[in-house]
Amino acid sequence: MRPIPTLTARRRGFLLIGLGVILLALPLLDPNQADIDIAANCTAYSALALGLNIVVGFAGLLDLGYAAFFAIGAYAYGILASYQLQPPWTPDWQFLADIGFVSKLTIEGNAVVHFTFPFWLMLPGSALIAACFGIAFGAPTLRLKGDYLAIVTLGFGEIVPIVARNWTSLTNGAEGLNGVAPPHAFGYSFGINSIPYYYVGLAIVGLLLLVSVRLRDSATGRAWMAIREDEVAAGAMGIHTTRLKLLAFAIGAGFAGMTGTFYIAKLQTATPDMFDLPVSVMVLVMIVLGGMGSVWGAILGAVFLSLLQSLFLPALNNAVQGFGALIGSGFLQQLQITSASELIFGIILVGMMLYRRQGLIPAARKPPLLTTEQMHASVTRGAIDLPVHPARHARGAKPDLMIEGLTVRYGGLHALKSISMRVEPGQIVAIIGPNGSGKSTLFNAITGLVKPFDGSIRFAGEELIGLRADQILKRGIARSFQNIRLFPQLSVIDNVMIGQHARLKSGPLGAVLGLPSGRAEERAARVRAMALLGMFGNRLTPRADQLVSSLSYANRRRVEIARALASAPRLLMLDEPTAGMNPAESIELAEQIGELRALGLTILLVEHKLDVVVRLADHVIVLDHGDKLAEGKADEIRRNEAVLTAYLGRAAAHV
Amino acid sequence: MITPIELFAQQAVNGLSLGAMYALLALGFTLVYGILELINFAHFNVFMIGSFVGLIVLQALGIAGQSVVLHGAPLIFALLLALIVTMLVCGILGVLIERFTLRPMRGVRGPMAMITTIGVSYILYNVVLLATNAQALNFPDPLATQDFDIHHVVIRAKQILIWIISLILMVGLDQFVRRSRLGKAMRATAQDAEAARMMGVDVDRVVSTAFFAGSALAGAAGLIFGLYYNFTQYSIGYSAGLRAFTAAVLGGIGNVPGAMLGGILIGLIETMSSQYIATKWADVIIFSILILVLVFKPAGLLGALAPNRS
Repeated sequence: MRPIPTLTARRRGFLLIGLGVILLALPLLDPNQADIDIAANCTAYSALALGLNIVVGFAGLLDLGYAAFFAIGAYAYGILASYQLQPPWTPDWQFLADIGFVSKLTIEGNAVVHFTFPFWLMLPGSALIAACFGIAFGAPTLRLKGDYLAIVTLGFGEIVPIVARNWTSLTNGAEGLNGVAPPHAFGYSFGINSIPYYYVGLAIVGLLLLVSVRLRDSATGRAWMAIREDEVAAGAMGIHTTRLKLLAFAIGAGFAGMTGTFYIAKLQTATPDMFDLPVSVMVLVMIVLGGMGSVWGAILGAVFLSLLQSLFLPALNNAVQGFGALIGSGFLQQLQITSASELIFGIILVGMMLYRRQGLIPAARKPPLLTTEQMHASVTRGAIDLPVHPARHARGAKPDLMIEGLTVRYGGLHALKSISMRVEPGQIVAIIGPNGSGKSTLFNAITGLVKPFDGSIRFAGEELIGLRADQILKRGIARSFQNIRLFPQLSVIDNVMIGQHARLKSGPLGAVLGLPSGRAEERAARVRAMALLGMFGNRLTPRADQLVSSLSYANRRRVEIARALASAPRLLMLDEPTAGMNPAESIELAEQIGELRALGLTILLVEHKLDVVVRLADHVIVLDHGDKLAEGKADEIRRNEAVLTAYLGRAAAHV
Repeated sequence: MITPIELFAQQAVNGLSLGAMYALLALGFTLVYGILELINFAHFNVFMIGSFVGLIVLQALGIAGQSVVLHGAPLIFALLLALIVTMLVCGILGVLIERFTLRPMRGVRGPMAMITTIGVSYILYNVVLLATNAQALNFPDPLATQDFDIHHVVIRAKQILIWIISLILMVGLDQFVRRSRLGKAMRATAQDAEAARMMGVDVDRVVSTAFFAGSALAGAAGLIFGLYYNFTQYSIGYSAGLRAFTAAVLGGIGNVPGAMLGGILIGLIETMSSQYIATKWADVIIFSILILVLVFKPAGLLGALAPNRS
């Protein structure tokens, strides 16, 4: 597989302008109505694929009922711009008639209402309606793990066409809506001329493309990708995962809803079978083919599959049947290749997953290679030259972290038995203990990843139990994980910027509108992330654009610490930060942790290397089998008989 | 004149038969989910293939069309042969699907493996669609005339047959998972694949076994579908699969007795809602149950036994 060469910004610009000119001039280059109709359908499928790409590609949520939102957008316009509903006329309708949304009809002497909602209003209107349905159906299930969403959306995708088939008074059932009004502009009705639809479709794709790209490159896009890579770590980094998943789901539904209105206005009819499962699968195949998470890939996949069905397969069909006639083969003459298009979709799905998972246009750009100099440069020590701990909270006498009677149970097993401890502000407290003694469970309980059975955890006087992981991070507690939970397919700098998620104020709307304040904030976040990486000298700075998965183990640990620091915590919790580091690296890191304390940070540390603990910790707590065995100064602990027995084994204790 | 109670009892009898079929199908979802934490969409259409394999075997035995009625030993022989061949073919199909399309995806994050199963499912569906020209085919009904009537409640011989087959298969699977060495390895892998591997469990073999067992049961369910409804078609996998998955979630996904209980309940709910509400809304009702269970009791009635991956 040869990677697609990265284009320079200048060439990219030229390419885009060239492409735009060709697309705009297409009706002049090819005046054939049928071809323009195919092109207009390509725009509709591209818009659908862009929406699903946000859900599946960006946020990693498998949505198998996507066509349902397409249907909702389609029926919303279809019902509000046809003769389907004809409630009796009352004067109350007059104000809608005045603005042209309805008109008064007289059928067999009865005055009835005829809905004539304008197409241009229904484009955003349907997007909004579909997004509301997306929220209504996503909200109950998005709290759960991703897999369930697939099956729920599969069911939802089935239900919507069933409702459309059976709720005849609203939808005219299986026969479908007829006489849906075509759009009007400047007194001109689009009718059945494909050219205006083609231009409207192009405009919609352009809009959705812009929205997709801006969201992708914003804090929202980074948060989606963090959720896709590791939902637990995303929550621990301050991302409200449920809300962001719902946002992705709603935006994807909105894209589909808008496209539904466009598509129905073009066809001027809507039947339930236009929105069945095969449509959802087809859109999924489009983004898998193009590359999940890749905006241009979604469009390429959509155009390719549309053309496959409307041009390539019929052409191949004719060719094969013609060849069959030529050689007198009845089998070839009878062969209907066009009906095998769904079989081809299935083969594309499996083939892409097995052989080219990243799609034709991979979403992840190839990171720049390190120069030989950078690779062989001698390691330098960095310095912390930024206020990691902004003095926004006065340090009082109040203990920063106060744990009382904390009990955690896994089934019948007591992982922590009524643990009480306190961490004073500005201290480094180390927790040691054999494997399985409850150290990581303690960390998980403090950061909201496990729900304690009993007890209380108060931080600066505020109870943490019951808060979500992202809320706890916002209170000023950030952590690293024992088994490193970075976002492996994102770059080093993106990982650190995700650590700042909770501090960034600009939301998705600002990103879509491209507000200057949002851009300035992004730039500042990047500068700050680079400064944090600078803490580790030249170990990480030259690798800022590399994928985390390409880093050494020790460097991943460093990135995780930088990511935790990026949230500007008051309490930093490090779970075995020196694991996998050699002695020199461990001591280097220990000194850096010491420097963090000097900046006023409170640090809670799980560590196995006793020399690191002795060097750093003001206070040591020993856990064993969920009990607090001992606590005190490092030197005292080192001489404590009970600790030696538990930690080193009885035999060693008596040597 | 049928009394309301007799009507209810009749629907319960019908529901138990459908439920037994859903339970067999749900077991395949639960076995694979329990071990790989993967929703296997290919399972939908392995079930559909099963009904066609059963049809082919019965036709090969000369039992074509619905006029052929058998009794005694030939009947038992024909049904047993159809069952065994169907289960073997589907079991092997499941193992092949796992070996060639899912094993390379193991350890890949995100929805990739699920998308692969969708692709496989779609291929099976469309191959049969093209091969049968999208036609529904008649399924033999060799037990057609042997019905029992108890107080206006008709229990058809084939319903009894379905109960017997399902009961034997479910008890067999349960005992296998509980007692055999491989069953123990399966339970260990379901709890913690990495630890099981370190303890010398051949995880690949465990996964293959789960796919074989699950797919063989789906094959049996496919045969039962044909015998029960007297037709089969390329499209039968979708709604039966969705119901069976709902059953697995209702019982507690990953939980073998849960899948059986869930299957029976879904079968009863389907016949009761068709009787007392309307057939056309049965799908909507079952789907609503899926959502309600996921929202209010995601662990299901008997508790989910999903792998522990922290």
